[in-house]
Amino acid sequence: MADYKRAKWSAWADNIRSLDDPAHNFEKPEALDDLVVIDLSSRSMAGCFCSSMLSELGAETIRIEPPGGDLVRTYSPNGIMVKDTGLAYLQEGRNKYHVTLNLETEEGRDILKSLAAQADVLIETYPAGTMDKWGIGYEALSEINPRLIFASISTFGQFGPESKRKQYDYDNVSQARSSIQYATGEVLPEGKTVNDVPHAVPTKAGPWIAWAVSGTFAAMGILAALYHRDMTGEGQAIDVSTPEAYGRLNDYQLMWYGEAGVINERFGSLDTALWLYGFYPTKDGGVFLGGLRLEMWKAFVDIIGKYDEWKAEEWTTLAPFMKKDWQLKYQSMIDPLTAQYTSEELTKKSVEYAKSGRLAPITPVVAEIVSPWKAMQDENWLDRGMFTPVQDPVYGSVLCAQAQWKATETPPRTKWACRPIGYDNGFIYLKYFGYGPVKLKELGGKGII
Amino acid sequence: MPGVFKDYAKNKLKKPAPLKGIRVIEVCTLLFGPAGPSFLAEMGAEVIKIELPPAGDVTRSLNPFGWFFKEQGPMFMHINPSKYYMALDLHKDMAQNIFKELCSKADIVEFNLRPAVTNRWNIGYEDIKKVNPGIIYIEKNGFGQWGRYAEEDRPSNDGAAQALSGYAWMSSFSKRPPLKQSIWICDVYGAMMGEVAVLAALHHRKRTGKGQFIEMSQSENIMRAMGWIWPYQQMTGKGAEPSGNRDQCICPADTFLCKDGNFAALAAPAPDEFKGLCTAMAKPELADDARFKDHTTRLKDENALAILKIIAGWAVGKTADQIENLGKKHGFAATRLHNAKDEFEDPHRRDRGFIKEIDDPLYGKYADHEIPIMMSKTPPKHRWTVRPVGFDNDFIMTKILGRNQAQLDELYTHGVLGRWKDQQGRRPPPDWDGQSGAILRR
Repeated sequence: MADYKRAKWSAWADNIRSLDDPAHNFEKPEALDDLVVIDLSSRSMAGCFCSSMLSELGAETIRIEPPGGDLVRTYSPNGIMVKDTGLAYLQEGRNKYHVTLNLETEEGRDILKSLAAQADVLIETYPAGTMDKWGIGYEALSEINPRLIFASISTFGQFGPESKRKQYDYDNVSQARSSIQYATGEVLPEGKTVNDVPHAVPTKAGPWIAWAVSGTFAAMGILAALYHRDMTGEGQAIDVSTPEAYGRLNDYQLMWYGEAGVINERFGSLDTALWLYGFYPTKDGGVFLGGLRLEMWKAFVDIIGKYDEWKAEEWTTLAPFMKKDWQLKYQSMIDPLTAQYTSEELTKKSVEYAKSGRLAPITPVVAEIVSPWKAMQDENWLDRGMFTPVQDPVYGSVLCAQAQWKATETPPRTKWACRPIGYDNGFIYLKYFGYGPVKLKELGGKGII
Repeated sequence: MPGVFKDYAKNKLKKPAPLKGIRVIEVCTLLFGPAGPSFLAEMGAEVIKIELPPAGDVTRSLNPFGWFFKEQGPMFMHINPSKYYMALDLHKDMAQNIFKELCSKADIVEFNLRPAVTNRWNIGYEDIKKVNPGIIYIEKNGFGQWGRYAEEDRPSNDGAAQALSGYAWMSSFSKRPPLKQSIWICDVYGAMMGEVAVLAALHHRKRTGKGQFIEMSQSENIMRAMGWIWPYQQMTGKGAEPSGNRDQCICPADTFLCKDGNFAALAAPAPDEFKGLCTAMAKPELADDARFKDHTTRLKDENALAILKIIAGWAVGKTADQIENLGKKHGFAATRLHNAKDEFEDPHRRDRGFIKEIDDPLYGKYADHEIPIMMSKTPPKHRWTVRPVGFDNDFIMTKILGRNQAQLDELYTHGVLGRWKDQQGRRPPPDWDGQSGAILRR
């Protein structure tokens, strides 16, 4: 264990760690190892992310790609490829069996039907109507297997006036349509245009968060559908639209517009709805500062030495600070003060203040805004097993972000990072259909696998 | 599958909820905690939200630039629908015992407190497991239950997780300071993932009868969604850098300024999509340009910047709607940038029932989001909105624990059960008639 001063309640920490330390994950059972999942994701990481979650929980997940591989294999910064695979898919190929199958052929679709007959869950991300057109939509497959849970993820969903559009789902387009990108980004300085300040525009999140969110909602739906199936024996179709899914994470702007007619606009790294809550400069970068209760805000003002000058003693409510003009006024007063310290100095001051400050144990949240490079080397996360590399039989040591949560009984886990295109054709087609080398050669010759 | 979802929104009420029969207890405040159980509530679970009287959940005070809806914080309403509201002072022994009684009759219990607080209140996992061995028990917070940051008792919240995970760093333009998201992404994304954890545990319990303890750190959770960044850093030995609206793994994929001052986002990485885009730009020869010949070549930084510059030059001569329509016509993904007004007025989202009119006995009519999971046999349903602190105490205590009026009065006298403070967001809305919405009335 890393060297640090133990908490008064360290016995509790040690006990929980003894129960859920990911170092012991492989000694434990898996929550979903009774399930077979088919992942037909096409061009979309949302579907791959969804099936990753199920496969991390033990589901036998069969990832079906067209014979040349799915386009997601090429998603990679600067086009970097590791063997036949880009860096993005080295994260989301995890724990899955990779087979090829050509759904453009009748025989390929017949094989899919036979596989669906033996599966519990199917995930697909084609434009709405594609699966039906091929005769392997929910209606057709549920006739073969009424217990099947069939989840579709797309930009416009399976029904509704826009659902006839044939476009594939991409994260950046869904972020733009969610109405969240519109309200995120730097504010254009007065008198300037976008041409003068090209970074002061609506700005999407860097990571594929719209995809991650729609994939996660789909997983939630699949697990709820599974509960219903356990009770009744019936499967169902699930429909998730990525802009809706991501848009659902906006907590007030729909009501604000609907009831007050206000369109939520960009507010930089401050927060339209919270004070103290924003990013502030330091000598060596920046910190997040948070104090959502009046006392926490006062404690922060005390830490930067302005408690008396700003008459913090007399403040009785946070309400005026939440208004736009006060936020901007105080931001300009705080900026030069935090800029006198390093991020680490400010962080330590807040931890120290909790012990000996005038308002202790109340203290503001201070967190350094780190690069992912620094995050990856942070001993706290390493100690908690967040970045334990996967020793992959094909791709070698691959650094993956490990599972989202820790658990005492059925923790999620990563077994391998990815597999080359068609790597598991032999195993999976033998396991489900008894197809041996002769049959596989024949199917390969016809361009079906 | 047009048949399966025919008249979906209209037919919802004719169908059961998926999580019928599941009971959830939450002791959560702000967003990371409470946002999760509401997903279960909309899927039919009975969710009992326990607050500390008389002030309750801090989110009741939050508001955009001073705007409240009938004295209530709109974000509190957004993340806490369809729950029962109970106020129990868990600092007191008697309250802790009532809590355990409730847990003995529940399936799931959820917390977002600092580490070891549940232990101090005698309602830690081991305490609850004694009264209910099958309980699924989840604690969500900044840094988990063990490790250096947890033991330093560092406070955390969404902004801290955006900062510490590298998420904010990766979400700005190149050479600009890291940018905070306008939504509380690490809160709500973490909340969602917590319910995936809980539902998977429920399946395990169904098979084995065993419950479990789950802990989630919001920074760790969001790091899992940051994908390629980690192997990129491992394999190149360099830190990943942000790139504004340009997707570094997909090309072309970016947001462009248009003639009308609006913005449009588009993506066209597949051969058919890229060809369609080139045709739409009236530059079909670009599809055969050696720099852009296939996706991997196009992704090389210099090639990516070259094609994006060409597209930007074209986009600024079109309106955002024209670009969206050209996408439809030529088979690439494109959209005009939507804002709150677009979302509110969009007939598509209304038709799907994603945006629906709420009809609440305390707060009246307004439009809000449904949970964005459309389920053909078991559609989730947003049914009612939030309640004042302790509003459903008597109902829960009577229905689940069989307490009579005299017993309830005693619990109020001792401050074990509590009701709302006379303060905005805690008390009923100003136009409340004193009866509406109360399940047990006296």
